[in-house]
Amino acid sequence: MSRVRLQGVSQSYRGVKALDDVTVEVASQRLTVLCGPPAAGKSVLLRLLVGLEQPSEGRILIDDRDITDVPAAQRRIGYVPQSFALFPHVSVFDNIAYPLALQHVSRAEIALRVGQVAEILGINPLLSKRPSQLSGGEKQRAAIARGMLKNADLFLLDDPLVGLDFKLRESLMEDLKDMRAELGATFLYVTSDSLEALTMAEDLIVLDAGHVVEANPVAEVYHSPRHLRAAELVGFPRCNVLAGVLDAGGLCRTGIVDFPLSAPTNFVGEVAVVARPEQIAYRADGAPATVRLMENLGAECVVYFEAGGQTLVTSVPSPSVAHLDIDSPFPFVVRGEGLLVFDRASGALVGRG
Amino acid sequence: MRPTSWREHAYHALLWLVALIFFAPIFWIVLSSFKTADQILAVPPKLIFTPTIANYTKLFSSASFPHQLFNSVVLSVAAVLIAVAVSFLAAFSFSRFKPPGTNFLMFLLLSIRMLPGSAAILPVYLMYVGFGWKDTYAGMILFYAMFSIPFSVWILKGFIDGVSPRFDETGIVNGASWLRIITRTILPQVMPGVIAASIFNFIFVWNEFLFNYIIGGISTSNIPVALASGLYSNGGVDWTFISALTSVYIVPPILVVYFFQRYLLVGMTFGTVRGEV
Repeated sequence: MSRVRLQGVSQSYRGVKALDDVTVEVASQRLTVLCGPPAAGKSVLLRLLVGLEQPSEGRILIDDRDITDVPAAQRRIGYVPQSFALFPHVSVFDNIAYPLALQHVSRAEIALRVGQVAEILGINPLLSKRPSQLSGGEKQRAAIARGMLKNADLFLLDDPLVGLDFKLRESLMEDLKDMRAELGATFLYVTSDSLEALTMAEDLIVLDAGHVVEANPVAEVYHSPRHLRAAELVGFPRCNVLAGVLDAGGLCRTGIVDFPLSAPTNFVGEVAVVARPEQIAYRADGAPATVRLMENLGAECVVYFEAGGQTLVTSVPSPSVAHLDIDSPFPFVVRGEGLLVFDRASGALVGRG
Repeated sequence: MRPTSWREHAYHALLWLVALIFFAPIFWIVLSSFKTADQILAVPPKLIFTPTIANYTKLFSSASFPHQLFNSVVLSVAAVLIAVAVSFLAAFSFSRFKPPGTNFLMFLLLSIRMLPGSAAILPVYLMYVGFGWKDTYAGMILFYAMFSIPFSVWILKGFIDGVSPRFDETGIVNGASWLRIITRTILPQVMPGVIAASIFNFIFVWNEFLFNYIIGGISTSNIPVALASGLYSNGGVDWTFISALTSVYIVPPILVVYFFQRYLLVGMTFGTVRGEV
């Protein structure tokens, strides 16, 4: 068990708020991803949780125990910092064993547990080496192993895969998910990479400019976000945001697509309509547009195109657009069903198409 | 393997020539230490002669020199150990806790070192006489340590700045004390800086003359003072004494620099250039 709750937590640096009145819960025994753009306050929140900083305001609770003023060492939290922070003057084994050595665990038990965690992460042959002899991915595995070795139910991982190549990240993501399941622990994983967030998360907390924009299971955040910023920040390729107007009859007009809301609403006025890339299709009889950029990902091709003075993005099967090039015509249609409509002023969800 | 070009041969020859020119005075003084007074002053210089160790025998059998050699070693080693220990802790505080006015304090520290020794000699002398510290080991070691600290803080702060605070935080999160973090995590990583600071301080204290002459005395005089006081004998310069004493005097710094020269470069760059040390 390790349910984490932040209640009205704020953190200021020289009068500038990095976190502003954050109230959020991290469910026990789940892999929760905290995502947001750079400087959203993700690392600050993690540093408050781990005890490296004290919040300016608010309380932090783990399993209903107030740990706001508890020193970092007594919080029983495993922590993997953003940088590897592997001690260069000792072996990988000693680096991983560090938390246990500080707890005066016997040498035999240290050897056993280091061996176990190294086995899971596939770094057993590296234990006698120095960190300088490891590749980036191996260093990261060693850093994760050290963070995981602590006797804890809650593990905080601060963007641990940043800077690694895609294949390595993919493999480490799987390792981390397996490890969480095996430990039955609570993981709070920080990243600014939307794709990584979607891949890793069971629950997702979206942080933006020091505020929690949304905290829900990942599928809910992606398909039914409650806030425009959550829709903008979560998804790959990014979502398309169309300016529109919602009239009293429940009809939404954007200039590119007009559609009725699926359920009545009292809201009337300017809205932002979110169309996920998969809601835009390339069709010969569609509205006219021009290709501006194409990113071929193999099976899929991400196409950025200009329509009505706005750049939109969609993802289509590569063979269907193999004949296209920059400045080629790109007729398209936007499916009205499922489009999300937000109040443009507040960002709150108004309804869907 | 690429053949060596004539330019490289010329370059190497030039380097050897410059090195030999710089080495010439050392060669001359060491050679002279095995000559008689007449041989030292002979014109043209005698390169072929029967060496004698009489100068060394005389030097080491004198009443004062062994004691002065001992003083030089004790004062240098003790002052360096104290200075580096204090400087390391001060540099750690400046680097990690960044007290208000850190930059100004660092400037003040260095400005103290820029002050010519003669500017401080009178107040130091009066203080030492007043406190009864003149010609005491503790007083001399304290002075040399204090005089060595500013430069050491500068060197070591540069090195500690280069060690990520994430290392400290890893220790804090896992329950390490500050003492453990400083001694087991930071210190091993800045050891090249500690060695560089120790070398600079050792050479400074080993060569120091003015303060030892003024606030030292018979009990604590070092080799530079011995050199000055034994310079003249029988109405002229005693070259046999000078050459033998100097030959002994230069051995420790040469050994230190020879074995630790790679640390000098990183020390002179205040840790900004790591080097393969």
